[in-house]
Amino acid sequence: MQAEIYVAASAAVFGTGVYGLILARHILRKLLALNLMGGGVFLLLITLGGGADGPPDPIPQAMVLTGIVIAVSATAFALAMLVRLYQETGRATLELEDDDQEGGGDG
Amino acid sequence: MGISLVIDVLLALGLVGLALQVVAGPSLFRSIVLFVVFGLVMALAWARLHAPDLAMAEAAIGAGITGALLLMTYRRLVELNPEKRGETYLGSRWLAAPVGVLTGVLVGLIGWAALQLPPGDTTAGTLARDALDETGVSNPVTGVLLVFRGYDTLLEMGVLLLAFLGARAVASGRAHSPGTSEVSEPALVGALLSLVVPLTILVGIYLLRAGGHAPGGAFQAGAVLAAGGVLLSLTGRLVPTDHTPLVQRLVLVLGLLVFSGMGLFMLFAGSAMLSLPGTWAIYLVETALMISIALPLALLFAQAPGLKGRGH
Amino acid sequence: MSVLEIVSTGLLAAGCFFYLAGTIGLLRFPDVHSRLHALTKADNVGLFLVCLALTLLGESLRVALLLLLIWLLGLLAATVSCHLIARHSIRRKGGRSG
Repeated sequence: MQAEIYVAASAAVFGTGVYGLILARHILRKLLALNLMGGGVFLLLITLGGGADGPPDPIPQAMVLTGIVIAVSATAFALAMLVRLYQETGRATLELEDDDQEGGGDG
Repeated sequence: MGISLVIDVLLALGLVGLALQVVAGPSLFRSIVLFVVFGLVMALAWARLHAPDLAMAEAAIGAGITGALLLMTYRRLVELNPEKRGETYLGSRWLAAPVGVLTGVLVGLIGWAALQLPPGDTTAGTLARDALDETGVSNPVTGVLLVFRGYDTLLEMGVLLLAFLGARAVASGRAHSPGTSEVSEPALVGALLSLVVPLTILVGIYLLRAGGHAPGGAFQAGAVLAAGGVLLSLTGRLVPTDHTPLVQRLVLVLGLLVFSGMGLFMLFAGSAMLSLPGTWAIYLVETALMISIALPLALLFAQAPGLKGRGH
Repeated sequence: MSVLEIVSTGLLAAGCFFYLAGTIGLLRFPDVHSRLHALTKADNVGLFLVCLALTLLGESLRVALLLLLIWLLGLLAATVSCHLIARHSIRRKGGRSG
């Protein structure tokens, strides 16, 4: 029963991340959404590798541990690019989307 | 049974609710703070799923270091353009909700289908657990990270180093001091630092040593050390330099060098690539990894090529 | 249930009550300073009671010392962060009125 609960939670978190990724205009928000998606995947991996009532499979655990460090590395790199983009253009959104936004009459 | 199920349901609902607040909340600052809370609730979920190694890594790296990086970037953006602080940057796309729901359902179906599969007798995990005695460590996660899937860990160090180098490459030359030098510092901060910073070193070394037989390891230890560095650069004890000092360059590549050097040595000694000759080698590699994880994370936070003490 | 278990369950319940009170204060109080007051004071007592309960259940000196360390660190972090937030809030208000 525990596994079903966390599988449902991981699916919902992943879906929320996708929703946020599409919705967000600010790059920082997109990064938050991406990290949420990652969290959902990690939770799914560990839940599926879980024993009945013992510790989960060590292989997915090691992979998720690696994944957490990779996620923070990628996020840090993306944040550095965001700061530079903001310094250069004064905007924290991706250009294409702004056109899209104006085209949609959202202002 | 009953009460633990209630806890699981509450944790799951908390995760989903927090995730929704993070993506749809009105204020960007609030979203970042709630993301940190999401990471901490996730750490509780890991603990419930009997994965204390992950709980510590999530709390230290997923919530702590990532949160510090996000908040620091937010602050820099506000400093660069204070007028834009109030903007929400929430778009409105009719496609977002249906696509989000559909992908969520898809992931749920995949997970549900995988749960219906009969459990395998000889998964890689059970093989690793059975062969654990040969590795010299009794924590299976540390064993897998360093012995059975050493390539992953080695490449992961490469990714971390690349992220640091990439961040250096895109950063503009203008120096930025994250410390609040113009405001006088409250007396309490110095007292806190003199207690907490030695403690982070102690906890880091403890986690590293404990990683062999109990939850812990190089990644958690490195993250704790990096948190000490973050505190020091946040309070202006460590100031950014324009170039990376030689010692710090060496430290940045130490983990990669020691791990791959040991692996190559074993290859020429007639053993498998990246196999480690004993427990001492595992701890040696882990120590190098810890240091080489802590420094780039602290430097990424400071957004600087190097750090030095304030007095120099 | 032994006497020890009953006592520690009572302590846990009391600790949870203080946490609840602190959180309600955080949500209901009007300004930064009264919120900080509710949160830090009540939560420190709550943490102390929970740590004490776990010490009784742990039945070893090592666990007791670790829990003591956790409580002291919690106190320290709460004190300094509370002080910094309050200071920042006062400065910002002063800046606005002056």
